[in-house]
Amino acid sequence: MIKNYIKIAWRNLKRNKAYAMINITGLSLSMACGLLIFTLVSYHFSFDDFHPGRDRIYRIVTEIHNENISHTPGVPPPFAKAFRRDFTFADKTARAVTFGNELISIPSSPDNKKFVEESGVACVEPDFFDIFNFPLVQGDKKTALSAAQSALVTEHIAKKYFGTVNAIGKVIRVDNKTDFTITGILQDIPLNTDRKSEIYVSDLSMKDLSEQVANDNAWGDISSETHCFIRLKPGIGPATVEAAFDGMKKKYYANRPGSQKALVFKLQPLSDVHFNPDYNGYADKKYLWALALIGVFLIVTACVNFINLATAQAINRSREVGIRKVLGSLRSQLFWQFIVETALITLFALVVAFGLAQLGLPFINSLFKTELTLHLLGNQLLLLCMLLVFLFVVFLSGSYPGLVLSGFQPVLALKGKLSQKNLGGFSLRRLLVVAQFAISQILIIGTIVIASQMHYSKTSDLGFRKDGIVLLPVPISDSAGRTRMETLRNRLASVSGVENVSFCSQAPASDANNKMDITFGNRPKPELWSVNIKCSDQDYLKVFNLKLAAGRNLSRSDTLREFLVNETFVKKLNLSSPEEVINKTATINGKKALIVGVVRDFYNYSFRDEVDPVALFSSYPQYQQCAIQCSLLHAKPALASFEKIWNETYPEYVYSFQFLDQAIARFYELDDIMLQLI
Amino acid sequence: MINIKDLEKIYRTEEVETIALNKLTLEVKEGEFVAIMGPSGCGKSTLLNILGLLDDPDSGSFIFNNIEVAHFNERKRADLRKHNIGFVFQSFNLIDELTVFENVELPLIYTGVKAAERKKKVEEVLDKVQIMHRRNHYPQQLSGGQQQRVAVARAVVNNPKLILADEPTGNLDSSNGNEVMQLLTELNEQGTTIVMVTHSEHDARYSHRIIRMLDGQTVTQNILI
Ligand SMILES: Nc1ncnc2c1ncn2[C@@H]1O[C@H](COP(=O)(O)OP(=O)(O)OP(=O)(O)O)[C@@H](O)[C@H]1O
Ligand SMILES: [Mg+2]
Repeated sequence: MIKNYIKIAWRNLKRNKAYAMINITGLSLSMACGLLIFTLVSYHFSFDDFHPGRDRIYRIVTEIHNENISHTPGVPPPFAKAFRRDFTFADKTARAVTFGNELISIPSSPDNKKFVEESGVACVEPDFFDIFNFPLVQGDKKTALSAAQSALVTEHIAKKYFGTVNAIGKVIRVDNKTDFTITGILQDIPLNTDRKSEIYVSDLSMKDLSEQVANDNAWGDISSETHCFIRLKPGIGPATVEAAFDGMKKKYYANRPGSQKALVFKLQPLSDVHFNPDYNGYADKKYLWALALIGVFLIVTACVNFINLATAQAINRSREVGIRKVLGSLRSQLFWQFIVETALITLFALVVAFGLAQLGLPFINSLFKTELTLHLLGNQLLLLCMLLVFLFVVFLSGSYPGLVLSGFQPVLALKGKLSQKNLGGFSLRRLLVVAQFAISQILIIGTIVIASQMHYSKTSDLGFRKDGIVLLPVPISDSAGRTRMETLRNRLASVSGVENVSFCSQAPASDANNKMDITFGNRPKPELWSVNIKCSDQDYLKVFNLKLAAGRNLSRSDTLREFLVNETFVKKLNLSSPEEVINKTATINGKKALIVGVVRDFYNYSFRDEVDPVALFSSYPQYQQCAIQCSLLHAKPALASFEKIWNETYPEYVYSFQFLDQAIARFYELDDIMLQLI
Repeated sequence: MINIKDLEKIYRTEEVETIALNKLTLEVKEGEFVAIMGPSGCGKSTLLNILGLLDDPDSGSFIFNNIEVAHFNERKRADLRKHNIGFVFQSFNLIDELTVFENVELPLIYTGVKAAERKKKVEEVLDKVQIMHRRNHYPQQLSGGQQQRVAVARAVVNNPKLILADEPTGNLDSSNGNEVMQLLTELNEQGTTIVMVTHSEHDARYSHRIIRMLDGQTVTQNILI
């Protein structure tokens, strides 16, 4: 019977090539999109799902309750140690601090090879590898990081640096300062994890990498890259642990009542890490669900389309239906015949869709910077989903035409007396068309909304200049680097097209933000909020075109001598006019100085976020970037000169540059991706 | 074999009500060859459709093989039909997408006959209607007479007790028509009951008995033998 169904289905398709083509094209296009979306969404939902006991793994994060609540995935540097010492909730606790874009060099190589790892160097305590399932192919994870100056690298890094995976005993130098000996080789890190680092060094060497983080008393210092991971003992819930943090705060913030009130430590489940935008999660679940919904919409629309076409075709099939009924076919048999026919079309479409998806994958990969692959074999979830989609499409689009056709009165069908009316649900079909239209409308409106939001964010005024500004890294800023900085400044300033040069810790809007406690004037206690500090020289205002609301600019100085603050800072102090802070003192991070000026507010993250209170001051050891304002006309030759000058100034480092507007565009990356997708 | 009493069939459309069969009474015995004649619109096809269980009457009784079938549901009617009744239509009604062989095979598929036996039976009847050499052709590639022979073959392939033919020669020239009538006669001689609607006195003479209808009722019966 089924053979007969397939035979007649096949012949019917051959006879109605146009009909088959339209259906197959429509279906396969939307199923290809569905497949791609599925791959992408399932990729994100698979993040960090391969660690044993992952339900018990948490990251301790910090909420900062001021007037409004801000979030950071970091904790104070001594937190992990204190947690391990004070509590028995966790069977494993590890501090993990990631230093991004570190310079790695190979001292033993004849030409002193240099590398910059975007994924950074992670300085971790040994428990890290008990919490996370990153197996070693060589070396023993129990002892590998138990000595200072030891390091683990992945096979990939080992091959890249030394041309062989057998790199145990070899030495890498981090930041031109500290040597680490490789004591173990990690299996390559899977794609679906947020722990991207490929180089891990022992926590015992922390003081060589960052004095600040190594300081066991730095309870007031929270960096977003200082993480604390724990694996709770079975049976202990996060609420129990969070309840115990109160006592911990009393103990370590005894003389800082402001922080004691403002800081709330929370346990973030590992399954939340990839998704929570509050804590720099990459993929907001909202977007993923929206994407999945779009996928379902697309497939449903294609089905609706299919139903319409198939039902319109039904008239031509009525005689066949009549004959089959006369010959004794049951209604159900006819119904199945049409289902088989639909299944055949769908199967074709699915095969085509799979091909299309393979073609589209590189595009998706470049868009999302992923390395997704689409393999049928070995991906049971994909197979299962394809099967489900197949059945879904077949029954959704096959059953209505099947029911209509199989319901024909044989006598009427034979006489060819059927008309549109006998297709029964003319109104239903009209409804389907309306539904299809509505779905397309929703997609179009959604696109317009996102597009206009994008446009707004791209063109909206962030309160500072962002065009024509090139950022160069300043690799060394200690006293030894001081003279080199001046050389760099003088040489850059003489390049034609360059208008201003400023050294600073970061651009006005940046995702690297540093918050500190602040005490104003003679007020007895620190304020309940913290201030976002940016270190810069006197040319910062000129380069970024920041305007003064009151007072004057910073005067030339190498170290902290005076403060510039922004308008929000004044508002936070509950003062009515900027003039009121001028020539008052402020104590920030224990350093007291006069406030000499107030700058107009600028967005210090993206326009989606609120403006923080900001303090600007000079302090050359903090300078990490050199911001060059240059006229766009000369950009090309100027860039070449920048590279040359920079390389001559810092021969032992790796040059890179960034346009500020591109750096800012990165904040809106996900919006951008959504836009391109739709 | 067929016993009909007071059968009524009324077609209702929005404007008009047509009484297609008006308290019709009829009896057909096993092995008979009956011709039904009458002016256009008198209800012949309607009667045949009810006899063939393709349509159900509004009232009255229809006893087929000693069973009251007037109110059978669709499934039961389909079951009875596929095992007992074969149809021949004026317009052949072959499925264009299937070959001659596959068309004739179809009733056997619906009665669940095994493939090997199907092949044997189909070849047997195709031989009988002398169309074996065209078994792999599609209906469009055949002449009208050939198509009707295929339709007859399809009607008899299941060895039905009853064959219903609605103007089987209506679309054929006289020589092709005679061939088909010859076939029906042979089948009747082998024991199949035949009820045939026709407009042709010539064809009607092949039968044993002519029933004349008018306005949904039988008016006279001529016994020919
Ligand atoms: N589906 C239907 N809806 C409404 N009226 C119908 C329908 N089928 C048949 N009729 C009417 O019922 C009457 C009987 O029709 P029927 O087809 O049985 O006539 P007939 O004797 O076969 O005529 P012909 O010799 O032209 O084939 C006619 O008046 C016809 O118009
Ligand atoms: Mg008729």
